[in-house]
Amino acid sequence: MSKFAEPMSRLIDELKKLPGVGSKSAQRLAFYILRASDEDAEALAAAVRDVKASLRLCSVCNNITDVDPCVYCTSATRNQRLVCVVEEPTNIAAIDKTKHFNGVYHVLHGSISPLHGVGPEQLRIANLITRVDAGNVDEVIIATNPTVEGEATATYLSQQLKRVGVKVTRIAMGIPVGSDIEYTDEITMLKAMEGRREL
Amino acid sequence: MTLMESEAIVLRTYPLREADLLVTLFTRAEGKVRGVARSAKKSKRRFGGALEPMTYVRAFYDVRERQELARLDACEVLESPLANEVSYARAVALAHLAELLDELLPDHEANDAIFRLTLSVLHALTGSDVWMPVTYFDLWLTRLVGFLPELTGCIVCGRSLNDSRAYFHALADGLMCPEDKRLASSEISSESRALAALMFRAPVDSFAGEPWPKAQGADLRKFVIQALQRNIEKKLVTAGMLEKGGF
Repeated sequence: MSKFAEPMSRLIDELKKLPGVGSKSAQRLAFYILRASDEDAEALAAAVRDVKASLRLCSVCNNITDVDPCVYCTSATRNQRLVCVVEEPTNIAAIDKTKHFNGVYHVLHGSISPLHGVGPEQLRIANLITRVDAGNVDEVIIATNPTVEGEATATYLSQQLKRVGVKVTRIAMGIPVGSDIEYTDEITMLKAMEGRREL
Repeated sequence: MTLMESEAIVLRTYPLREADLLVTLFTRAEGKVRGVARSAKKSKRRFGGALEPMTYVRAFYDVRERQELARLDACEVLESPLANEVSYARAVALAHLAELLDELLPDHEANDAIFRLTLSVLHALTGSDVWMPVTYFDLWLTRLVGFLPELTGCIVCGRSLNDSRAYFHALADGLMCPEDKRLASSEISSESRALAALMFRAPVDSFAGEPWPKAQGADLRKFVIQALQRNIEKKLVTAGMLEKGGF
């Protein structure tokens, strides 16, 4: 027999499915929702419903959006001829936080991952090629992760894009700001030296 | 609790809990070991790029009695696949090596011959020409784990296949002569059988520099992969990706 009433157990079970939420955290969240006001609980339920009902992928850049094309793709103040390619929609926030990139994005929704059976055909590459092929792009910045999978994706993309005749660049890799060279591993140091720039 | 130090090759990582990684290592001292790298997902400071698949590292880990998982303390990179350009072909080939080792090696059983084979093939796998190192690795690994059938005689009648055509089938554990071949068998050319014999006599470096198109030894690779899949009773994900890769 469950130690909680059936609706409570059901809520705990559903919350436990969320990433990083175990039994204890799920219980805490469930009790928080129980104690919250009706309006707060209703607002949470409505937000969950809306996120599923109204969000979709942007037909231009594959970002998650409630309007199609998304706000980045329709922005008059952003440079539409400069495209930054990222693996996941969450990467956009990290790049936009810098406030130094004023171009637009293209989301691949993953990276080449042979061990998981993910090849280029499973990624959203075709509409990037179409976008570049239309001649509206001057430069593509590839901002995939600095992992074996991210590097394989970057190399594959650069080969495909160079055929179309566009400038392709890769984000720099190296020592994180505020860290110490003494504690940098060999491969990060190698990448930092390769990506050095003239002062 | 015993603190271990060993050369190792990282095979795979899986996310575990909020910030940890479950790491499969092929260690020189103990064979395949699974361990937890705490906070490896959140902080890159401790492990850096050392946990990328097919990185050759010096691993420091704790082994506790009656615990299946070791605790990975640190990994020092000795050689990284990221030191050379990672093309799609190379990524698939590296993943193929990792998948085969993960599937075929038993836990906690050192195998120095396979460790040395892996290192030598990794050294040969620095560019986009993947077919020679992959063929060499598949053939030798199949032999070293004891799954390679006899290549010189028919498994049905025992006749020598040295001067005749030879065939193989996904469900047959060896080669067959033209008279005994099964329906829907594939042929393995005498050139590929000679190539296999040559690969058993020479190190992988001796084949480097020669042009090696995908078609060369393709029948030999198919025969070896079928033998492996028959023995592990599952399809190898990366074998399919290699074949349809178009490189």
